[in-house]
Amino acid sequence: MGKVLSVLAICLISGFFMAPDVFGHTPLCSCWDNGDGTVTCEGGFSDGSSGAGIDIRVVDNKSGTVLVGGNMDEDSEFTFNSPDVPYRVQYDAGPGHLVEIDGGEIVE
Amino acid sequence: MRKAVLVPLLSLVMALAFSVPASAHFQLIYTEESALEKGGEVNFKLVFTHPFEAGHTMDMGTPLEFGVVHKEKKKDLRGKLTPIMFESLTNEGKAYEASYKLRGMGDYIFYVVPEPYYEGSEDIYIQQITKVILNVAGAPTDWDSEIGLPVEIVPLDKPYGLWAGNVFRGIVKANGKPVPYCEIEVEYLNHDIEGNRFSEKEKVEAPQDAFVTLTIKADKDGEFVFGIPRAGWWGFAALGAGGDLTYEGKELSQDAVIWVQAKEMK
Repeated sequence: MGKVLSVLAICLISGFFMAPDVFGHTPLCSCWDNGDGTVTCEGGFSDGSSGAGIDIRVVDNKSGTVLVGGNMDEDSEFTFNSPDVPYRVQYDAGPGHLVEIDGGEIVE
Repeated sequence: MRKAVLVPLLSLVMALAFSVPASAHFQLIYTEESALEKGGEVNFKLVFTHPFEAGHTMDMGTPLEFGVVHKEKKKDLRGKLTPIMFESLTNEGKAYEASYKLRGMGDYIFYVVPEPYYEGSEDIYIQQITKVILNVAGAPTDWDSEIGLPVEIVPLDKPYGLWAGNVFRGIVKANGKPVPYCEIEVEYLNHDIEGNRFSEKEKVEAPQDAFVTLTIKADKDGEFVFGIPRAGWWGFAALGAGGDLTYEGKELSQDAVIWVQAKEMK
């Protein structure tokens, strides 16, 4: 029993220390229009760390439908075709760490 | 009687002729905003002037280097320079402007290596190698890096993320090594820049000449600290950081300049 508890405690402590240190920092995202019908978004954190792998969604403003979804690539970027409908980009680094950018504010 | 009048008159004329304004030469890379919400086109004015008093603007030669460092990559921007005439409150001087589109988050270090300027009143050449750092969307990338200039001030505080009342710290370096006890002149950009001229309206009035150009010194490790008393652009010029140099047979003062922008906490 004691051994099981020790293993659990070690796992818990290891998990705590090995968790990516992103939540202490503010998530940041910036998007620009490439001028060729596509939009690129770049994500990261306020300590300068990369946003690679973070979830990103392009959402229809009216219906709330996810038009495009994916993850930031190894350069912490995500490129998508500009939707024909009003939309917003959601850079989702976890609970309480969502950055939303209105498509109308994305310019070249 | 005539002699009695003439002597004081001559003294007065001499005193006026030789009284040098206390303000300092500053190479400026001016742009309106250093902390940007998003990318886009940014305009710069490269002016060699006296920023506190919006005074005499010197003629700039063709810059030897003008570029930007973003995510450790250096880009030559000399091709984007356009000559302009910049109007101070007392004259007009040859200057440059450039526009550049910022794309993507992070820091953009703009720098200029000007052609040395001959200052006749001191019979020396002055070359102020200058940096200004812009940021897009708050992501820090390059602001504290050395970019390999012969002389440079390496910031220890984000130059675009300062409240009025914060301190700004930096290290004066020459060829990558700290310059101990370097004299640093500090000036406030006391007049707005409107187009290619200084606005006539001054923001603050100096109670005495010592407040026009503030002088501080780096410590034994080349580090300095300055408490920023007011929002706006502040310039730091580390004089003669390059050491004993000559240019065209005359003394060359190779100075490292950085501009930082503080915001009002309101």
